[in-house]
Amino acid sequence: MSDSQPIRSSRFRAEREADWRALEALVERVESGGAGRLDFEESRALAALYRKATTSLSVARDISLDKSLLIYLETLVARAFLAVYAPQESLSGVMGRFFGGSASAAVRRSGWAILMAFAALFLGGWVAALLFAQDPAWFYTFVPTGLAGERGPGASTETLRAGLFDTEGNLLAQLGAFAAFLFSHNTRVALFSFALGVFACVPSLLLTLYNGLILGAFWALYADRGLGMELFGWLSIHGVTELSALALAAAGGFRLGLAVLFPGGLSRKDSLRASSKDAVKLALVAALMLFVAGLLEGFARQLITDTTLRIVMGWGIGLLWLGWFMLAGRRAR
Amino acid sequence: MARLQTPAEMARKLENARRWFELVPPEGVPIRFEVAGIAARFGAQLLDILITVVVMVSVILLLAVLPFTIEPLVTSLAAILMLVIRAPYYILTELFWNGQTVGKRATGLRVLGADGRGLTTHAVVARNLMKEVEIFMPGTMLIVSGSLGTVWNLILLVWIAIVLIIPLTNSKRQRLGDLIANTYVTCRPKAVLLPDLSTSTPRIEFDFAPAQLEHYGSFELQTLESLLRSRSETRRSDLRRRDSLVQVAAQIRYKIGFEEPVPDGRAHEFLHAFYTAQRAFLEQKRMFGDVRDDKHHRDGD
Repeated sequence: MSDSQPIRSSRFRAEREADWRALEALVERVESGGAGRLDFEESRALAALYRKATTSLSVARDISLDKSLLIYLETLVARAFLAVYAPQESLSGVMGRFFGGSASAAVRRSGWAILMAFAALFLGGWVAALLFAQDPAWFYTFVPTGLAGERGPGASTETLRAGLFDTEGNLLAQLGAFAAFLFSHNTRVALFSFALGVFACVPSLLLTLYNGLILGAFWALYADRGLGMELFGWLSIHGVTELSALALAAAGGFRLGLAVLFPGGLSRKDSLRASSKDAVKLALVAALMLFVAGLLEGFARQLITDTTLRIVMGWGIGLLWLGWFMLAGRRAR
Repeated sequence: MARLQTPAEMARKLENARRWFELVPPEGVPIRFEVAGIAARFGAQLLDILITVVVMVSVILLLAVLPFTIEPLVTSLAAILMLVIRAPYYILTELFWNGQTVGKRATGLRVLGADGRGLTTHAVVARNLMKEVEIFMPGTMLIVSGSLGTVWNLILLVWIAIVLIIPLTNSKRQRLGDLIANTYVTCRPKAVLLPDLSTSTPRIEFDFAPAQLEHYGSFELQTLESLLRSRSETRRSDLRRRDSLVQVAAQIRYKIGFEEPVPDGRAHEFLHAFYTAQRAFLEQKRMFGDVRDDKHHRDGD
């Protein structure tokens, strides 16, 4: 033990302390104002110093017993890691990727799940129509009273027709209708059928089926009164978008549920995480579509009362969605 | 004198009370982060909700100033505005501020990708979409729970219970969204580089034989380091500190059989010298694979 020769870990520290201090100064600047504050040379220095500091930490863990030094290095490397591996995203980049390909690719990959959702929807509708044909009282079993309003087997044909071509109300009332819609039945169904898909698809399947039942009951009622075409138009203008949104949300749920049911070579947790990448995108697309459907239902349906025009517009928009899903980002692959 | 706990026991307990997790970045050196406490996360969440509610209320007030009668729509309008403001707020702040919302900034929290490769857009979106399902949907239902039926109230109760229990059941305090997005929430690490104790006093006038350094392990060494680094603000605590220095010096001298007398005034110097010698000795041993975690030669836990 001599005064002239400091112990090994002290020499280790003395040799590297300047680098650590330089790194700390750079990290502090990134923390206060983002990596954009650094110029080219400084960013390069940040990366190089960070790598040096990780090596220092690795060595210090083995050779040094100086607790304060170890704590300092641990936190310095942690902070530098956060500065170096920060997400380098821009809003336009994120949006561009989502609309330009990643969302549509997720939809294309989920083809079977989407087909499953549509099948459940149609199956529900078919069953409800069959049952309604036997006994109209089934209508009350399927359709919640809040949703049915004054529409029902007991209502006159004229009331039903008026419901389809209601143009009264000002802009504010339309806004109200839009607002009420967004939080109405369908949004809730979409949210639940997505979120509950994790439980092996069963809740999503039941919800989609149930939604089909409601739709089928309405359909049977109106068809019974000879208003089938008019209902088709009324439903088309927003329904094409809205029901597709429901199907996509349910398909997102199915992807999660299928990942849990059939994880393949992965663990269930990993499989769930892998499929959540597509499922989240499906949910976002469904949310966007529900928003558009809300606009269509609140405004367009009140403004356009011609059945043919309603059908053309509804399916035209549906075609646009389909075009986006099928075409966007294909060339990049 | 009956003491409840020795300082060493207390130090060990304190260390164990904090939770840590490790990330392995591409550089291959595991980095240690502290798991954020439930209270801090709750506080951050509260602050974020407050911010979004204030923005929502100001938008509604702005609409009220304009010549519209929005009274019949206020509740549904508020619900929509909350959704439209809230989801982008969380996603964009966490994405552009490297895992920090305003609330997390204030409480010193941060979101981290668990794979050690930084946060991805997907992770941020996934954990915040789950937040809608996990926190805000039951939250808004709770507000209107009076008008819901018994069945829905029961479902709500179970849902809230599950959401609250999940973070408590895993060691990294991940909520459902964290589990799906594979993220952790950590406290912002912060530490200053203190001077090296072994070089800060140039003159060492005590000599120790190797046999005298065989008694202690790194835990005792680091406890001694903490004692030597401790600062006292008031006169009373300064007296107490001196007192404990003298006591510790006496105990060490007794244990290692240090014959040379040490006056009370030089207890600090003695401990300093002993710290330096002991550290050099233990580090030397460590280089040759003889790791001594504490005086019982435990292999660490």
